[in-house]
Amino acid sequence: MTRSSLLLQSDLLPEALDISFKLVPAILVLSMLGLFLTIGFVFRVADTDNMWVAGRSIGNLENGMAIGANWMSAASYLGMAASIALAGFYGLVFVVGWTTGYFILLIFLAAQLRRFGKYTAPDFVGDRFNSDSARAIAAVTTFLIGFVYAIGQAKGMALVSLYIFGDYGGLIPGLDGYQVMVVFMMTITVGYLTLSGMMGATKNQAVQYTILIVAFVAGLYAVGWTQGYSTVLPQLEYGALISQLGSEFSEPFASSSYYLWVATTFSLIVGTCGLPHVLVRFYTVESERTARWSTVWGLFFICILYWSAPAFAAFGTDLYSQNVGPTYGDPGMASAASEVIVVLAAQLAELPQWFVGLVAAGGIAAAIATVAGLFIAGSSAISHDIYTNIINEDATQRQQILVGRLSIVALGALTTLAALNPASSIAALVGYAFSLAGSVLFPMFFLGMWWENANRQGALAGMTTGLTLWSIPMINQIVPTYIGSLEAPLSAGLAQWMPAIGSALITLPIVFVVTIVVSMATDEPSLETKRIVRQCHSPEPMGQQETAEDVVADGGEDVATDGGRAVDDAAAEGDRADGDAAAEDR
Amino acid sequence: MYERILVPTDGSDVAEAAVDHALDLAEKYDAEVHALYVVDIDSVNFSLGTEQVDRLKQGRFDEMGELKEKADEATGVVADRGAERTVEVVEHVSGGRPHKVIADYAEDHGIDLIVMGSHGRAGVRRALLGSVTERTLRSTHVPVLVVDYLDED
Repeated sequence: MTRSSLLLQSDLLPEALDISFKLVPAILVLSMLGLFLTIGFVFRVADTDNMWVAGRSIGNLENGMAIGANWMSAASYLGMAASIALAGFYGLVFVVGWTTGYFILLIFLAAQLRRFGKYTAPDFVGDRFNSDSARAIAAVTTFLIGFVYAIGQAKGMALVSLYIFGDYGGLIPGLDGYQVMVVFMMTITVGYLTLSGMMGATKNQAVQYTILIVAFVAGLYAVGWTQGYSTVLPQLEYGALISQLGSEFSEPFASSSYYLWVATTFSLIVGTCGLPHVLVRFYTVESERTARWSTVWGLFFICILYWSAPAFAAFGTDLYSQNVGPTYGDPGMASAASEVIVVLAAQLAELPQWFVGLVAAGGIAAAIATVAGLFIAGSSAISHDIYTNIINEDATQRQQILVGRLSIVALGALTTLAALNPASSIAALVGYAFSLAGSVLFPMFFLGMWWENANRQGALAGMTTGLTLWSIPMINQIVPTYIGSLEAPLSAGLAQWMPAIGSALITLPIVFVVTIVVSMATDEPSLETKRIVRQCHSPEPMGQQETAEDVVADGGEDVATDGGRAVDDAAAEGDRADGDAAAEDR
Repeated sequence: MYERILVPTDGSDVAEAAVDHALDLAEKYDAEVHALYVVDIDSVNFSLGTEQVDRLKQGRFDEMGELKEKADEATGVVADRGAERTVEVVEHVSGGRPHKVIADYAEDHGIDLIVMGSHGRAGVRRALLGSVTERTLRSTHVPVLVVDYLDED
């Protein structure tokens, strides 16, 4: 990974990749984008006279696909194989971290979040801790996560589109071919997001998932089959290659320390459970059961790609050694080439151009689906949590749209600028966002949901600590790469023990301790807040479409974690129906 | 002349500027006033998130407390002022693109006059925020009375 931090302008164009305009792949990518818009239009929310008519509910499978598409970005599609190709064993941290995180999410947060039932991630923090400041910090963090995460996506999209559209360096004065593509792809993405307001979100995500998984798996099988690496199960058969690939690929801890491995994995695990664009889906699923099973399906759909990525990396590395030059050693494979190893492998295997284009298009689908989720989470953090909840409580819907759109444009512009000369590899860039989510949001969700005595002061102290600690390694390692006169890292010792990509290993325990100590030293939260927390993980099942707040409001006296009152679901549903009827009568 | 008057409202001062005009006319013609709040799906998408749009699509507006409260409050203002003048007020909440929903509602419910407020924005501000009123004018054949809201400050 150290090599990637030395990335210079000159090697932003991946060597060996066939960079030229290709008609069929270009048509493929453009029609894919057109398809997303069409689906958005066809499945938009119809103008409806009556808001209380139940539509079709979204099932586990479809939810799972949506989780998969939202989750799998250019970092999974390109970055994971790239890290494995370059750093071998160390690259597996992404496979391990990004799947294990879902278990924590499944056990500790998915169904509980469903019970809390709000709109956005900062909503939880603000309402749970009764604090606008906490809400604001969570909202700013959400915006920051979207920004950092998206830099990697912009880089991935741009590298892949170099293959499809070619090198237009100099078209915009002062920008090379890669940078022109960053601007081009980000403009398309932001335009898509600001125009397609009423997207058929889940439908689109299911389609995006299908495209990316078909492209990736078909690419792997085709490369494996045509090159004689594998037959039916390349995910296992690549093992036969291991001894030929060099110790850099196969030997554990050859290119990184045990500590870095553990720190990165830990950071990726807790970050997964703190990412706003992942969490929001659980606010809206129909029931707790759907929340759990959607997670299981989502994890399965994610694993289909993750099982395949190491095999793809192995094939790509071997093909590179055969056709281009030695992958390891000096000069070795440049990081820009490794980033597109998935596309490069398909190209070096001499697969037809349209097929390589399909593999590339899958990468773009992955990036766009995730950027959409991230930017919408960022825009809602600004528009809903900061603007409407704190600055202007009487904000009209049109003002909210305006603020939301402006936030998306701002996010797009910031991301584009930062991606012009990215500081690290796609996977590492995304890793920084995970450190942030794991340092600031995950502790608040976990403690807020499971420890009723966590209070406002504790949350504020914890989040501020988390943000500060996260920024230390970022300033140490990342900021200097954007400032010409400084050399990264500023302190090598700090970079070794608190690496930016794995900083949550250090920050998370500190944030937990700070939050707990400050909470204990100050007044306990109100009884109502405690009751809501208890209700969020009470063993009693709750009626569908009920939130913890409703239950507490309906007669919270008896709510308890152990035993508690027997919620008569039928009666609760009955009351609810009466209430609805009354509402409609008025 | 007028039997059913529609007042679309988003709870803003601008929208409420039109309420008195509507109620006054309703009193004169002994008409019924329909207060309509449109949950703008674009707004839900950008401010609450795309997942919440899905939630609406599944017909679960009911569990979206804050949104519902805001809608009820906006139509409630019209109902309260109507009650003062003993004008009958029907409250309604719909979802979609505001101008389209307003036009459809007018058609479906036999509305014969729409009274709505307007900012009278021009130039950049109009381009950015747009005008629901202007779009409504273009989407319906029902007569529209536009009440310009003049900001006091």
